[in-house]
Order: sequence, then C-alpha cells, then structure tokens
Amino acid sequence: MENPLNAMPGAAFEIEAEATPPPAVVAPEHKDVRTGRSPGQVAWDRLKKDKVAIVCAVIILFFILVAIFAPLLTALQGTDPTTGLPASPDRTNTDLVDIDGNPLVGMSPHHWLGVEPRLGRDLFARWAYGARPSLIIGFVAAAASTIIGVTLGLLGGYVGGAVDRVISWVVDFFLSLPLLLLVLAIVPIVQLRIAGGNDLTAEELSTIRFWVIIAVLVAFGWMGLARLVRGEVKSLREREFVQAARAIGVPTHQVLFKEVLPNLVGPIIVSASIAVPAYITFEATLSYLGAGLVEPTASWGRTISDAQNSFAIYPLWLWPSVIALSALVLALSLLGDSIRDAFDPTSRR
Amino acid sequence: MLTYILRRVALALSVIMATLVSTFLLFFAGPADPAQAMCPELKCTPERLASIRTSLGLDKPLFQQFTEYFSGLFVGRDFQYAGDTVHCSAPCLGFSFHTGRPVGEMIFTRFPNTLVLTFMAVIIFVTVGVSIGILAATRRGTSVDRSLIGFSQVFGSIPYYIVALLFSLYLVTLWGVLPQFQSMDKGLLPYLGGLIAPAIILGLVTSTSYTRYTRNSMIDTLSMDYIRTARSKGISERTVLVRHGLRAAMSPIVTILGLDIAALLAGTLITEKIFNVDGIGKQAIDALRNDDLPVIMGTVLIAATAVVVMNLVVDIAYSYIDPRVRLS
Repeated sequence: MENPLNAMPGAAFEIEAEATPPPAVVAPEHKDVRTGRSPGQVAWDRLKKDKVAIVCAVIILFFILVAIFAPLLTALQGTDPTTGLPASPDRTNTDLVDIDGNPLVGMSPHHWLGVEPRLGRDLFARWAYGARPSLIIGFVAAAASTIIGVTLGLLGGYVGGAVDRVISWVVDFFLSLPLLLLVLAIVPIVQLRIAGGNDLTAEELSTIRFWVIIAVLVAFGWMGLARLVRGEVKSLREREFVQAARAIGVPTHQVLFKEVLPNLVGPIIVSASIAVPAYITFEATLSYLGAGLVEPTASWGRTISDAQNSFAIYPLWLWPSVIALSALVLALSLLGDSIRDAFDPTSRR
Repeated sequence: MLTYILRRVALALSVIMATLVSTFLLFFAGPADPAQAMCPELKCTPERLASIRTSLGLDKPLFQQFTEYFSGLFVGRDFQYAGDTVHCSAPCLGFSFHTGRPVGEMIFTRFPNTLVLTFMAVIIFVTVGVSIGILAATRRGTSVDRSLIGFSQVFGSIPYYIVALLFSLYLVTLWGVLPQFQSMDKGLLPYLGGLIAPAIILGLVTSTSYTRYTRNSMIDTLSMDYIRTARSKGISERTVLVRHGLRAAMSPIVTILGLDIAALLAGTLITEKIFNVDGIGKQAIDALRNDDLPVIMGTVLIAATAVVVMNLVVDIAYSYIDPRVRLS
C-alpha cells in the first residue's frame, strides 16, 4: 500500500528528469541562450567575447606580473660593472653620475633604462617597483570605498527615515567639496597627526604616507556608490519578493544580503571597476602636485614629477612612467566600460 | 513649488555651513603652526611668535576664533597687526599669513584668469563635444561613429594631468608651437594667446564626455515618434536634426554643463599648475606649500559655495522644466 504511493511521485520525477534533457539540448538552438542564467553569467559570457576587454585584461595582467616579479626583473639586469652591486630601486649610486649629477650610463645591458640623474638610481628598477603602489592603491582603495559605499547605501535605502536623511545629507556635503584641493590640504595634515613628533626614518614616513593616501582617497571616494545603492535599494525594498521575505519573518540582515544585495551585484562591480583607474590617476596626480607618495617609495607619479624639468635631455626618465601609467589607467578604464556594457542588457556595441 | 525651493535652499545653506565649520576645524585646529609660517626668518624668537599669535587671535579659544571668522564674513572685522588696527571689510576671509594681504582681495584679483580660462575651455568643449556627438549619432553604427567614440573614449581615459603635461612640455616649452602664459600687463592679445594652450587641452579632454552625452541623448531623441512625423512631413533632414532633434536633446546636456562650470571654476588646479596660469587654483597650490591657511580655507569655501549654488540653480531650473522633479 505504502510502496506504490511512495514510489509514484518518485517515478514521476524520474520520468520528468528523463524527459528534461531533450529540451535543454534544444534550447541553445532556440536563439534565447540566456534562459536560466544569472546576470553575472550573462555579463561574463559577453565579456569573454569582447576583444577590447581581452586586450585590456592582458595589459593589466602584464602590469600585475611586473609588480609581483619586480625583484626578479630587476635582478635580470645583473651586477653593475662600475659599482659591482646588483641593481636596486632604492640605492643611490653617486659613482654613476658626474659632479653635476648628469648620468654617466645610458641605456645599457646593466641599466635597461639608464640611471636617474643626480642620484644614479637604476631607472628600470624604479619603474618595475613603481607598478606596486599604483596597483595596490587602486585596488585597495576601490575595495574599501566599495564596502563603505554599499554599507551606507544599504543602510540609508533600507532603513529610511532619519538615518536616510543624514546619510543623504553627508553624501551631498561631500560631493560639493572641492575634492582635489581638500585632499591636497588634508594629506599632509593627517600625516603630521600620525607621524608628527616621532623620529621616523624616511622609509617609515613613506609607508605612513602610502596608507594615509589610501585612507583619504577612500574617505572622499565612497559617495557615488552610496547614492547609487541607496536609490536601487529604495525601489527594491518595495518589490514583492522583498515584501514577501519580510512578511514571512526573514531576519533583516538575511533580507539585505540574500534578497536585496544579489540584485545589486552588477552596479557594484561596474562601480568598483571604474573606481580602480580613478584612484590610480588620483594618486599619480597627488604625487605630481606634491602631496602624494614620498621618497624613497618608487612611484610613477613621482618619477614623472621629478623628470618633467629635464624631459628634453632625459626622455628615458620621463617616458617609461608616462607610458606605463597611461596604459594601465587606459586598460582599466576601457575594461570598466566593457564590464558596464556587459551588465547593461540594452547596450550593443 | 515654493516649499521645494525653500527646502533646497535650506539644504544648500546647511552644506555651506558644514563646509565652513569642518574646514575651520581641520585647518585651524590642525597641527601646522601659522605663526611659524608668518615668521619665515631663521631666527624667530619666542616673543615674536607669541606676538604674531596674539595679533592673529590664535591664542583665543577655538570657538571664539570661529565666531570671529564667521561674523567677519558678513560684517567685516578688525585685526591688530604690528600695533596697527587693520580693518577687513565684509566678506572678510582674513589675511594671508604669507603675503599679509587680505585673502578676499588675493582671490578676486586672480579669479579673472581662472574665469577666462574656464570660459575659453567651455566654448571649446561645448562646440567640439556637441558637434562630434551629433556627427556620431547621425552616423550611428558606421565606422565613423565607432572611430569617433573609440577615440574620445581612449583620449578621455588617459590621466588628464599626463595629457596636459605632455602637451605643455612639448608643444609649449620645447617646440614653442603655442605661446606661454603671460599676465594681463603685457596686453590683451598676448594674454589671451597664452591661455590658448591650457584652454585647448582642458576643452578637448572635457569634450570627450560631452561627445558621449550628446550622442546618447541624440540617439534617444531621434528615435522618438515626433522625429518620424517631422521627417514624413518632408522637412529637410538638416531642420529635423537641428530644430527638432538637437533642441530636445540639449536639455540634459545643459544641466550637466551647469555643474561642470562650477566644478571647473574650482578645479582648474592641475591645468593652472601645469601651464603656470596665475589663477586661484595655482594660488591655492602655492598656499599649500607655504602653510597659508587663510588662503586655502578661503579658496575651499568659495569653491564649495560655487558648486552648491550651481547645484541649486540647476535643480530649481530643472524643476521648472520638468515638474516631476518637485514630487520626489
């Protein structure tokens, strides 16, 4: 008695399960390949077919590899015949410059890009190591500001009321500030607050400055995403599936992370991918204007700033950093545009 | 309508007020010593430092300093400087620690340079951006469209300061194709000539985003029913594009333009620094180097006010054009 009753649904299921494969095989031929896939998967498939995105990804990967293997690449140059020392980004070699600071070595097997005027540091080593701060600042600041922006946006959009008004006001306030000027002014102040009075080495000061820049960039960089997420959440929380989840008593954090957030993955990824090149550019601009990274950290922005006055005599000092910074930022920006298009169902290139 | 305007004005005022308080706290309560900045001589005796602090009112409690600064903005205030009483008329932004001149005067004498540069750049980016955008929109999907948009995307994505720096280093400094910046005293023509290079680069880079706005807005507009109606009536394509299409497509662009002009007035920092233009941006950067707090604070305050006021004007203007805005 029990057996057939129990067996029945199971059997029916098996029949259904056996019946399912044929339509699944037919589906791709039915034009609509996108059935049953998440927006993320759709975007990923579109991205893989985007030639510009692939080229950009390769360029970005190249710079990531340069940053990771900077010591190895530097070591490939071997030891300098004059000083008898291996190339290093930080060591000054006064033997390699004349009394006026003009470099005695140009492009050579031991110094692929020559040496820096005045200090005689190996330019290739500084170039390779210079990829590190740019990439770290770009990715760390983008990650941190994304987390802050999403959190505040979720909070404002979902809780509403006074919390929302306060957050919206703070966003308005931050957006009306003259960003670059304030950041220029604040970086040295924060640096002094943290490091002032202590007797620190140049390396320690340089490291502190590195993290101060990330912190200040994050502090002034989260507003756009917060505003975007807030708007989306405000409309999502009125949707039936969110109302339903709340009605059956799903705890708030679960509603937020299981129901609301997955619908925002697209805009968040797009926003984060556009933020990375923006932060890298901002850091380089700060370094150029004198409030960015400080010696002895190797940084493309600083190198450009130092090299600009003798650009005509020593193009090898200026150009590698200019090309690297432009190529990296360009690749990241275009990849960000491609990601945005991939997530946008209405776009067609 | 009136409630909407009042609410927006109140919000704008609160933002300006908050900028004032926070920059004041940040800079004046910050660790940099303004008295030291005013006394650049190597042998600065403690007595002299103390007398500078007294004359600047830096020995007073922070709150009192703030109320004095705040009231100075509206009614002016008196400073005791080296035994004399100096009156600073409203709106008083204080005196520069470095040059000893009133900050308001310093900013307003430099402001015309920034204004002219911004104005020239606006002319360039609006004409270039809008016409390329229209061209791309009307040739939508062709190779012309793709190369124009591709080029503007690439050009707009390279860090701005690098583009401007290379332009300045090679075209202005090395090859002398374009003249360097000169002050107004040398005559109007050399002055305007010297602003061509910075205006071109600022205008061209900014135009890239206008190309894309215009193209998208034009494509949306040109797919409307009334455009089809206009075409079917036999109106020439040119009239359809300009009178029917462009006019409707321009309204969102005008909004962005309002905000961009405010941002440019505050944000020609990099351009002024690279091309050595004597505007408020370069002055602010120089002030940073000298720890000249009143100048930095005055510039921040004016820049923030410009952005907030432009925002307000754009919002209110928009609520007239589009009544739906008022309801939200």
